[in-house]
Amino acid sequence: MQGAVPFIQLDTLCKSFGRVRANHNISLDIHAGKILALLGENGAGKSTLMSLLAGQLQPDSGRILLNGRQVVLSSTEKAIQCGIGMVYQHFKLVEAMSVLENIVLGQSQGFWLKRSALKRQVAELARAYGIPLALNARVSTLSMGEKQQVEILKLLFRKSDLLIFDEPTSVLTPAEATNLFATMREMAAQGKAIVFISHKLEEVLRIADHIAILKQGEIIDQLSPAADLVPAELARRMVGRPVLLQVQREELEPRQTVLKVQGLGGNGLEQVDLELRQGELLSLVGVAGNGQKALVENICGLLPPRKGAVRILGQDWADFYAARQTETSLSYIPEDRQGLATCPGLDLLDNFLLTTRHAFSKGPWLDKNTAKDKLDKLLQDFAIRPQDSSTHAWQLSGGNLQKLVLAREFYRKPRLIVAEQPTQGLDIAAAEEVWRLLLQAREQAGILLVTGDLAEALALSDRIGVMFRGKLVAIMARHDQKSIARIPQMMAGLAPSEGESQKTYNQGVES
Amino acid sequence: MNSELLIPLLTAAVISGTPILYATLGEIITEKAGVLNLGVEGVMMMGCFCAFITAQLTGQPWLAFLAAGLAGLCTASLHGLVCLVFQGNQVVSGLALTIFGTGLANYLGTPYIGLAAPGFSPLPIPGLAELPFLGPVFFNHDPLVYLSYLLPGCLWLVFRHSRFGLGLRAVGQSPAAVLAAGLNATAYRWGGILIGGFFMGLGGAYLSLAYTHLWTNNLSAGRGWIAVALVIFAFWRPGRAVFGAYLFGGIMALQLRLQAGGTTLPSSLLLMLPYALTVAVLLFSSWQRGTQAPAALGTNIEPSS
Repeated sequence: MQGAVPFIQLDTLCKSFGRVRANHNISLDIHAGKILALLGENGAGKSTLMSLLAGQLQPDSGRILLNGRQVVLSSTEKAIQCGIGMVYQHFKLVEAMSVLENIVLGQSQGFWLKRSALKRQVAELARAYGIPLALNARVSTLSMGEKQQVEILKLLFRKSDLLIFDEPTSVLTPAEATNLFATMREMAAQGKAIVFISHKLEEVLRIADHIAILKQGEIIDQLSPAADLVPAELARRMVGRPVLLQVQREELEPRQTVLKVQGLGGNGLEQVDLELRQGELLSLVGVAGNGQKALVENICGLLPPRKGAVRILGQDWADFYAARQTETSLSYIPEDRQGLATCPGLDLLDNFLLTTRHAFSKGPWLDKNTAKDKLDKLLQDFAIRPQDSSTHAWQLSGGNLQKLVLAREFYRKPRLIVAEQPTQGLDIAAAEEVWRLLLQAREQAGILLVTGDLAEALALSDRIGVMFRGKLVAIMARHDQKSIARIPQMMAGLAPSEGESQKTYNQGVES
Repeated sequence: MNSELLIPLLTAAVISGTPILYATLGEIITEKAGVLNLGVEGVMMMGCFCAFITAQLTGQPWLAFLAAGLAGLCTASLHGLVCLVFQGNQVVSGLALTIFGTGLANYLGTPYIGLAAPGFSPLPIPGLAELPFLGPVFFNHDPLVYLSYLLPGCLWLVFRHSRFGLGLRAVGQSPAAVLAAGLNATAYRWGGILIGGFFMGLGGAYLSLAYTHLWTNNLSAGRGWIAVALVIFAFWRPGRAVFGAYLFGGIMALQLRLQAGGTTLPSSLLLMLPYALTVAVLLFSSWQRGTQAPAALGTNIEPSS
């Protein structure tokens, strides 16, 4: 495409928030018919750059050129008129309405909706791009992959020429991601410009025609995928130092059983059996919404088991929670760092005391001075910034907040740790730190790790379990290469483990 | 019960249900757009008074009816000002609107207490009014009742088959989706509040123009609150609102009849009946599953940074 006028040209764009330089001197060409990947860690300025393109933010300086002519994207509407469309990470869909209604929202002419004509147009468009969708289905009944297709059709229907995808695969199964890539290729082939924002290196290498790497608000590198470009090299350029995608881990001898789940059912679960020993890390992988939440809530005492048994440290569920031993022996690290794990409006000391208060109680009073000393030490040990216990929790970055939660929970010397998506939304450096801490905690505890990130599970686990539709489809050891290779299919319900009935297989195909 | 007793009771049910129907439809429009307006009572009172005073001054019932709608629209616009412009709390603003509207209407109306104004009188529909049973119950009323028969269908049509209706429903479910579609979410919410307020005002007008023809204090007597409850009972569907409104109208008519018939039940207990039914209806609706309020009901649109 050398010589051709790019569809969009960004010319030395700058945007600051207070003293933070979110984007600095960004110059980038976006060509029609090409897939451009924007790679960067969290906080590198990807979202800001996107918002500038979507008309949600205005640059402090610099220009945006559309087909060689300067435009001011003063509002979302203006950006849409210029043919710039965005598929957000959190879909902007009306769940209670049909696919068709979502697509034509704000797009048709006249007072009345001409349903049949609109439906014909949308169906034609869907066929042209190979997107199979039932247009009358309610959006709330669709899978995440299908919802994303609705978002894509929305943009195609309003004739967007540039489609920006924000971390599009984070909610998809591997099979759905493959589908998405095929659709993206098809759209590029039909002359659309595609911008693909991600921090997943393999994906970027697989799909992009061109890669731009953002770091601290600046584009530090632009390259084209070549045969010799490997993920590790890309990661090095993104983070600025070599990153060990393989964390150092040593095997530990599993000791006594800390958790035993037998035939657990109800709340969307079906016959879940698992056992976890001290010194062991068991990962549960699967697409979100396949029963992980119910299982974790059952184990952590938020939901009473309906069917089957949960035994924690050899005690029955009811006895364990009746004795309130959770104070010292079970730690729950929820996915929702800002809602369940911490109170954003309280300071770090109060947040620390939320689960450790029993160690600092004197009758009805709390010994805050001792607690503060302990916390200050932890802030130092865990390198949490800022190192000031009077900071409010909402002022901490995601990585630091997660480290605070881990520091607090490990301080209680738990025997059983249940961690949900502990590295979600963290940059690579922070995620590595969290991984190291979790592996360290195996010494004294059994760890149940619920994650959507297969790479994370493979790097950390002794054993891996796959969840699909409330069932634990299979549990395998980390060395069982043959089974591990089938995990992506299992996550989509397509490959039953040996002994599974054909029925499961069929259900998976129908959906 | 024989038809001699039943027909007058049902006829009265339609009459006393009509103002509730107007107000309920108004609240449905407002809530479909994601705005909770608890000020229905106050908006109705303002509509009620403006209808009365316009009829008094001009002698034109239809002009008075229109004035009531505009008064409702203006009163409801205060709610829009608080919730949409200043991002205020919708519940608090609605409660304040009730107190404000009721108080202002009663204050302005004090000199007119007991005075009469020209209003609407029954206008039997030729042909239909002679039908057995249905005729006297449904087709021997004033024009405002006939108008209210048409409204639920029209509303359904607009909600379901118009661009405006689609946008209105969408903004009640997900303002973010509406914004992402390049529409003005706040404008749709204004639409919901103002049109809703217009309908509530019409409900008030029915009270002073057709139901009583004269002015007294607190003419709406809690009907606005019943309308708020009925929206939930109706699952936000205009069609179901008709049943709810006539059910309440029936209970109100029944308790009047029982009082007049000289039962041994204390009158205060009878007066309580409609409100007891309100509680029962709310229990019933929350018991039924699968029908949900607009997802973004009661939450303000975050101003974009």
